[in-house]
This record gives sequence, C-alpha cells and structure tokens, in this order.
Amino acid sequence: MFSKKELKLAYALAICLLVVGVVSYAAFPLKTPEEPNRIMYTVTAGRVLFDHKTHSSETGFGVACLDCHHHPAESDEETKRACADCHTPPAADQKVNQTCLDCHELDEIEDTEVPNTGDAYHGQCIGCHKDFGAGPVECSQCHVM
Amino acid sequence: MFEQKKLVVSHPPFWHNGNRLTQRSYHIMLAALPAVLVGFKTYGMPAVGVVCLSIASAILWELGFNKVAKQPVTIGDGSAALTGLLLAMLFPATMPWWAVITGTFLAIVIGKHIFGGIGSNAFNPVALAVAILMVSWKHLFDFDGMLVNYDLQFTALYPIAAAKHFGAQAAASFNLWDLAIGWQTGGIGTACGLGLLLGGLYLMLRGFIRWEICLSFMAGIYISALLFHLVDPMRFAGPGFHLLAGYTLFGAIFLATEDSSSPVNFIPMLIYGAAGGLMTVLIRNIGNYVDGVILAILVINLVQPLLDKIRPQAIGKVV
Repeated sequence: MFSKKELKLAYALAICLLVVGVVSYAAFPLKTPEEPNRIMYTVTAGRVLFDHKTHSSETGFGVACLDCHHHPAESDEETKRACADCHTPPAADQKVNQTCLDCHELDEIEDTEVPNTGDAYHGQCIGCHKDFGAGPVECSQCHVM
Repeated sequence: MFEQKKLVVSHPPFWHNGNRLTQRSYHIMLAALPAVLVGFKTYGMPAVGVVCLSIASAILWELGFNKVAKQPVTIGDGSAALTGLLLAMLFPATMPWWAVITGTFLAIVIGKHIFGGIGSNAFNPVALAVAILMVSWKHLFDFDGMLVNYDLQFTALYPIAAAKHFGAQAAASFNLWDLAIGWQTGGIGTACGLGLLLGGLYLMLRGFIRWEICLSFMAGIYISALLFHLVDPMRFAGPGFHLLAGYTLFGAIFLATEDSSSPVNFIPMLIYGAAGGLMTVLIRNIGNYVDGVILAILVINLVQPLLDKIRPQAIGKVV
C-alpha cells in the first residue's frame, strides 16, 4: 500500500518526536514564577483574572507588596504570604486560624475576627480602585462566567 | 445539439500523475509550520513538547488500531501525523500530557477509524476530538487560566473571551496587526494569522485545499460579524477582530477544508463554508461557548451530505 520509505519515515517521526516530547515535558516544564504574573481566581460568582505583575511592577501601577500582603508589617520576603493563608475561617475546633498560631500564642491574639477570602478581596480591590478613581468596581467588570 | 467535446475519456492504461496521500499530508503539515514556529517562539519548550507528543501519539494510536483490527499498517500515509499536528495547534502550550494523549486517541480512533478510516470519517477528527475535550475538561481550553504563568510581551488576555465577557470595547483594545502577527494568547498554532494565511495560500495554490470552502468560511464570518456589529457596536466586536482572533483562520484553512467531511461541488462548498462562518459568529456572539469555530465545523460536517444533494444536472435525458 505504501512504500517502505514512507513507512520508515512515519516510524522515524513517531520515535523521534516521542523522545523529544517526553524530554520536553520532563526536563523543560513551564516554571511557576516566584512572583505570579497573573492569578485566576475560580469562584462561584464567576472567574476573576487578576494581573498581579501589572499591579506590582514599577512600570505598571507600582502597588507596594505590603499594601495588599499587609500583615505582618515587616517587609522581608517571608512576609509575602498568600491571602488565603490568613483569610480562611478557622477549623471547627479552633478559635483562630492555624496560620495565626504559627507565630502567636492564643492569648496574644486580640482580634479573632478575620474577614474571609471573598470579603478581604472585595474590600482590598474595590477599596483601592475607589481611592484611586481607577479600575473596576462593579461585579461584572471582574467576574466572568 | 449533442456536444462531442464533453466527457471525453481516453482508453486505459491511465497515467498516474504522482500525487499520493503521503505527499498531501506532509504538504499540509509544511503549510502549518509557519504558524507553529511562531507558537514555539512565543511559548518555548512546553509548546514543543505538546506538538511532538501529539504527533507521536497520533501515529502510535493509528499503528495500535491497525494491529488490533488486523488491518494493513496505514501510518505511512502521514494522515495520523497531520491529525496530531493540527490537534496540537489548537491546544494551549501548557496542555497536560494525558490530555494530549487522550485527544489524539479521540481523533484517531473515535474520529477516524471508528468511521472506517481515512476518507470515511463523517466529522473532522480534529474538531471532534477538541469538542469532546472541551466538553469534558472545560478548563483546559480556558486560555486565560492555562497561560497565567507566562510573562508575555503582549496583552495576555484571550481576545475572544474578552470580547465575549466585556463587549466590543474590550475587543477594540486589541490592535488588528498585533492579532495578525500572533501577539495574542490562544492555541500554539492558531494565534499567528499571517502564518496561517501564508500556509493557506500555499495549499490553495497547490490545490491541496479548496479555496471555495476556505474563502466562503471567511466571508461568512466577515459578513455576519459585520451585521452584528452594525446592529449593536457596543456589544459585538467588528468583523476584522472576528477574522483574526481565536480559531477562525485555522478553522477556515485546516478544519473546514478537510476532504472527507466537506462537499465536492461548487455551490455546496460555498454554502458549507458560509454556513460555518455564520454559525461561528452566532455561537460567539449569542451562544454559550467562547469560540464557536469547533462546534460550527461539526455542525456543517453534519449537513454536508445534505448539501452534496445539490449537484449538476446530468447530461442527456431519459426518453
């Protein structure tokens, strides 16, 4: 049906490309950057694509790290925790979130009312956009289905 | 008066002009290369991995099916390799390996061989595989979500999704020239409009694809998008945007023109292409899915046998 040459070409293609494909997947996967470029929040009200790099870079909006990653106040690298690390309701048998207890004793913590992730994001994003008179403030301007 | 010059057929033996399936497959792959290379430049080694794994696994699925079904080995015709390449072009560069292998299985085994192999498939195998993947794992084709870790030199927002969710204003923020040179997120081989057009022109001039289908598909997109835009310019993006964004050019050149699932006569080809373009814009503008090209191709594949009923009148008459 097909010449031997054509069959050999197909076998060679399959073997060579399989090797290159496996090596590419194994050795050259896309690295997750230390500071995210963009973050996709998947929530019930609709996904939100947040451009972290544009907000944080000097050529973008130049928002300081601690303006959002606001606690604790020290500015070393360790303090840049993900929002959900703290803004998550504590476990049923705990009064405060485990993240707080990683650094503090229970009796040191006065304010045990931490807003959940959704409220924290809404407050942070909409608050800042309103302060600067720029950026979306309506639901459908960020949330898309 | 009976015209002697019509339907003159010489006596056998006939001379074969040398065209073979293999040649055809590899020429189409060659035509797809410019757009793929732009994808490699944009997305780097992960994109190379997806394309290589897709072609290799498509050939291996075909070989496996041949062996299981005790058929002659058909991988020599290059059709499986071509299917693998076209499928990979639609994928994001971060497609997981298992999805690539599942996709090539769907295209080769379900899309092609279940129907009887090359030339017998009712649906374009690539479109069928992508449609099944899109329905089963929707997030894999959410290019905004899949490409979040890429730091790109252009606006990293999937244009078709932006237009769908935020209207014509969002679409207007994309420069048409940027879209044409591939400065848009999307599939590995679907972003560079100029590369796709270059390949399409080569295929049309060499006669590997029918210009009637390709151009009528684009015309269908252009006219229907223009009408939508004229009715509500705030909500619906313009025709140039629809032509250059998403899967449009890839669909017009590499999917709609697939032989087995497209009509053979002139008028049916025009209707087939234009209907595909119209369906694409309808799905994009008022449908539920972000990009309508894949589903539109499947719909026109479905009506293709009906369109082929429109055929030239037979010469002569029964007395």
